[in-house]
Amino acid sequence: MDLVYQLLFTGIGIGSVYALVALGFVLIFRATNVVNFAQGEFSMVAAFLMVIFAVDLEWPYWLSLILSLGGMAIYGALFNLGVYYPLRHRTYLPVIISTIGASILVTNSTLALYGPQPQVLSNLLDFQGINLGTVFFDSQYLLIIGVTIVLVAFQYWFFEHTLLGKKLQATSQDKEMASLLGIPVAAMIMITFVYSAMIGGLAGILVAPILFVSIHMGGTIALKAFAATIIGGFGDVAGAIIGGLALGVIETFGAAYVSVPYKDGFAFLVLVMFLVFRPQGIFGERVAEKA
Amino acid sequence: MPLIELKDLSVRYGEIEALRGISLSVEAGEVVTLLGANGAGKSTTLRAISGLTKPASGDILFEGRSLAGLGPEQIVRLGIAHVPEGRRVFPGLTSRENIMLGASNRSGVSKSDIAREADAMFDLFSDIRPFADALGWTLSGGQQQMVAVARGLMAKPKLLLLDEPSLGLAPVIVSKVFDIIKEIRRMGTTVLLVEQNARMGLSVADRGYVLETGKLVVSGNPSELWNNEDVRAAYLGGHARAS
Repeated sequence: MDLVYQLLFTGIGIGSVYALVALGFVLIFRATNVVNFAQGEFSMVAAFLMVIFAVDLEWPYWLSLILSLGGMAIYGALFNLGVYYPLRHRTYLPVIISTIGASILVTNSTLALYGPQPQVLSNLLDFQGINLGTVFFDSQYLLIIGVTIVLVAFQYWFFEHTLLGKKLQATSQDKEMASLLGIPVAAMIMITFVYSAMIGGLAGILVAPILFVSIHMGGTIALKAFAATIIGGFGDVAGAIIGGLALGVIETFGAAYVSVPYKDGFAFLVLVMFLVFRPQGIFGERVAEKA
Repeated sequence: MPLIELKDLSVRYGEIEALRGISLSVEAGEVVTLLGANGAGKSTTLRAISGLTKPASGDILFEGRSLAGLGPEQIVRLGIAHVPEGRRVFPGLTSRENIMLGASNRSGVSKSDIAREADAMFDLFSDIRPFADALGWTLSGGQQQMVAVARGLMAKPKLLLLDEPSLGLAPVIVSKVFDIIKEIRRMGTTVLLVEQNARMGLSVADRGYVLETGKLVVSGNPSELWNNEDVRAAYLGGHARAS
């Protein structure tokens, strides 16, 4: 039974990372109606920024964290201006191609700078973790879960209880109507990209000590987050969180009880089953887009 | 000086000329109705005024100032609120939130003031007060129309553009919507109303214009239009309305 708890803890921890990235995915999808194929690179770039500041320059972790997240805010803004904004009046296809192009560019630029060897980032907290009975609560996983809870709570408060949050929602639901009311649509989309890059980046920094920091981490994380959004119900915020957590738990149990090498396979097996039997996801069609 | 003046305005959608040099004006305090069949260019006229559609030629003057080159976000800040065709209530926001966002064009208003004003809107639109916290997509067409008009009024507009407020509504709801338009008129807000329902449209108007395939064909006060044989045949009779 202890193994079950241990796996559950680990699964929720890794699932929280997928949930954070999926959240960023969904926010951009809802604001622009486009799937951002360079979403995973938000996590990768942030992890590499962390390596630059904390490992290469040996600056303290807290300072490196602030600088990395600040860097991600700038990255999100530039990403919007360079990848989305010039194509905003086009159909979704040119934008999707543009995000794929950005993903390739960023991945290969990082490869040119850092080479193919994975970089190591140690745990963000000083202590290793705590033992409760025979279950070990690793400090990094505890941190991930804690940060995710705080961020989800913040985001709920922000979207449900502030006027700016309502304006962001209005923009994602009907851009033309939002502009008729005087809501600055371009600024709303800019905020979305900046925020999405920051939470994607934070997910990357949090998971970096568990995975290695490599040019491939973006692709893996993005695929899992994409699967999480489909499991949860595409475009649904609660669905992204539930889907991410479910995916983390499923793949952790699958790795423990069935096969470690096929760990990533379980995520996609679940994804395929959802696509076949419940394509609208767990929360799909809960909010019907009528009117 | 008229509140708004359209001068020889033309709009093209690719090869199609939606508006072919129309000129009209609305004085402050007036309610003016734009009549015409489907595809005559009524909605296009409103879209050109609010900045959603760029004119091919001609000019729009609001309080004597040209609107050329301004986008919808700037135009609504000048005091022109557009309640578009199809109501366009945000489906995932509540009635109250929809109405509160109508004040987005006004700067320096606190959230609590906006909430208070939105609450006052439910006095004017008492039918939707019970649905204040219902999501937009759950509302009926008539309720959505009232939310959309209330949201437009929250902009405190000098000019309110109303596009087909009766479209798709049951007759009893239509008369409620027009009671509200009369109330808006009584409060002194200038209204440019687009309607296919000529009887209702003229019942609240000081003056009317009739559009036909992108050109203004006749204008006058409601009784003149009502008694004009050509207008009656084309727009007020039964056979043309169905098209």
